[in-house]
Amino acid sequence: MKDFARRMVAIDRRLIFLLIAGATLLPLLNPFGLPIKVSPEVQAVYEYIEDLPEGSVFLLSFDFDPSSKPELEPQAVALLRHAFRKNLRVIGMTHWITGTSLADGVVATVAAEMGKERGKDYVFLGWAPGGYALIISMGQDLYKAFPSDYSKTPTRGMPVLEGVRTLRDVNYMISLAAGGAGIEMWYVFGKDKYRFEMGGGSTGVIAPGLYPFLRSGQINGLIGGLQGAAEYETLIGRKGMAVAGMDAQSATHFVIIILVVLCNVFYFALRGDKGRPR
Amino acid sequence: MSEAMLPTEVVLGAWVATGLTLFIYSFLYKDNPLFKLGEHLYVGVSIGYSVVLVWYTVFKRLVWEELNRGNYEPLVGVVIGVLILTQFFPKVSWLSRIAFAFIVGFGSGVSIPRAVSSYILKQIEDTVNPLLTMGADGLSLGLDLASPQSGVNTIILLVGVVSVLFYFFFSVEHTGPGMVTARTGIYFLMIAFGAAFGYTVMSRMSLLIGRFRDLITFSGAAYGYATLVLLLITVLSLAGWELAVRRKGGEE
Amino acid sequence: MIFLKRQLPLAITFVMGVAFALQYYIPHPVSEEAITKVSDWMKIISGFALVLGIASVFHVHAVKIRRQAPGWGYSGVLFAAIVVTMVVGFWSGGESKVDGGQTSFGWLYDYTMVPLQGTMFSILAFFIASAAYRAFRARSREASVLLAAAVVVMMGRVPLGQFLLPWTWDITQWLMNVLNSAVRRAILIGVSMGSVALSLKIILGKERSYLGGGKDQ
Repeated sequence: MKDFARRMVAIDRRLIFLLIAGATLLPLLNPFGLPIKVSPEVQAVYEYIEDLPEGSVFLLSFDFDPSSKPELEPQAVALLRHAFRKNLRVIGMTHWITGTSLADGVVATVAAEMGKERGKDYVFLGWAPGGYALIISMGQDLYKAFPSDYSKTPTRGMPVLEGVRTLRDVNYMISLAAGGAGIEMWYVFGKDKYRFEMGGGSTGVIAPGLYPFLRSGQINGLIGGLQGAAEYETLIGRKGMAVAGMDAQSATHFVIIILVVLCNVFYFALRGDKGRPR
Repeated sequence: MSEAMLPTEVVLGAWVATGLTLFIYSFLYKDNPLFKLGEHLYVGVSIGYSVVLVWYTVFKRLVWEELNRGNYEPLVGVVIGVLILTQFFPKVSWLSRIAFAFIVGFGSGVSIPRAVSSYILKQIEDTVNPLLTMGADGLSLGLDLASPQSGVNTIILLVGVVSVLFYFFFSVEHTGPGMVTARTGIYFLMIAFGAAFGYTVMSRMSLLIGRFRDLITFSGAAYGYATLVLLLITVLSLAGWELAVRRKGGEE
Repeated sequence: MIFLKRQLPLAITFVMGVAFALQYYIPHPVSEEAITKVSDWMKIISGFALVLGIASVFHVHAVKIRRQAPGWGYSGVLFAAIVVTMVVGFWSGGESKVDGGQTSFGWLYDYTMVPLQGTMFSILAFFIASAAYRAFRARSREASVLLAAAVVVMMGRVPLGQFLLPWTWDITQWLMNVLNSAVRRAILIGVSMGSVALSLKIILGKERSYLGGGKDQ
């Protein structure tokens, strides 16, 4: 047993890589489809959007780049589908320069699918530098912050922005965040002063750190990672990339759990060994 | 994706994307020239993309178009921005201090009241919630663990916040009751770190699922079986490279 | 000269810091106009700061090529990628799409940048599995608690775990909303107090590292 444990502990890590690759690939090729349970924090975002009257202004900030695309793009697609279905006026933008074209593509694709018109039903403002300074600038005067949208059309006079002069005129805002320049920045420099309601969507890595804001009501809801996106897709009744990925997510988690358990079994088997540097 | 004929640029793009993806994944075997090529391409394309966007967004939209409209205020930002760039010229690099003073002063000033309000006061406010609620039957302590705002959870939250804050307070020795508080804080920290690990695993696996989904899509006939062909080429290239390295090592 | 190199920057930091800390509490139109203008300037300044970062990367790789240091060929690839992307970008007018059709710039973004950036970060999934297998051991009581929490959360956050052991979902929700929130809140309060203290030190001139060092700091 001890020899076996010793061999297993020293196993080539490339075998573990193959195991993870297999656990990811097989469920994608042969999904088993388990029900998705919805958490209260995702339900809260859904219900807030669901209760917004038609024509309300919804700001969606794509605060991520292609490195977080698999987690946050499904959230963006589900939220946009919901917002367009509710006939909300959608304003898209991003703080992350390398995520600009990605965000524009997502907005344009979902808008086309839902029969929405640029300039009339939605606008993608694009990227502008400054981070917190940009939020303050938008809070003071949206047209100075973004004189034109991503396709270089002047923002002043756009039908979708009628009656919107500053962030105070936004009815609901969601930041889809992959890091520091996201939800916290929007709250601290945006909601704290300009008093719009906001929710958050985030990668799994930063989600645990956002729960204090959720608890205190600083954000009204939180969509965390691919699981959160799958929950939102379930709520809007339109399964997409997130639900499709959950089987692979389940399989990989179980592989990691088994690896951790085995690691400890072998560790305890070798612990009594004298002279073993463990 | 339908099996109808896809435009050439889409098929070409799929081959390029798949090739680059496999170059990066080749690192899982070991560091090799294909990975280094992909890595440097990644940095180069990101920088090039950023330069183009900064040019059109900052210099053209926020400065040039405003100047053409007769608004000269952006010039103040331009002057301060140019002062930053004096860092590259040792004789006048001290001028960049003025720019950094402006930036850092503004950033520090705006963040103080906002950080106090958002991160400190609001967080403390939610920590000191009432423990008892008034219902039809009078005052009661909510014992429902499933409800985050219940009385028992409020007590646990308060204990957690105080014990963790105490654990990080090194000006007082952690002995006696202090040691009990600090050790409670440690256990709370361990639970939070375990949860963070679980979420990190979830996040990283999601990224992998996203890439694999694209590779599966590009393995179809419509894309000329890009994934399968390029996977074979990558494996053969790595094998050839490994043989060449071993032969060179053997000769030396 | 010492005044220009030392006293003036410190004075600017002090004035800007105090002014904009107080601005938060003064809703007067003049105060609002001031923060509007300065935040507009900050956007332009941030663009120049990006240029600074990009120029630094240029410099590092240019030196590598000039000295023909090991791996200088890859630096050449990097430069070529920058130049090609910039040429394509300016040729496309900085647009990814025109009249619904994708430009060359958009093509480059979708088929090089997105897969490269996505794959770079997804590779961590393999390393987290390998690290978990090698290092995630219950060496002590604290480590055991960490391990148990991690396993419960990993089970509770996926449909298979929720299906096989429904209680992991409830425990995960409680863990995240109560225990995790408590810890994160404490860390947030502590770190924020530290950053407020640092901001005050900067404004009052006690902390000068942002000035870049040198005898006359």
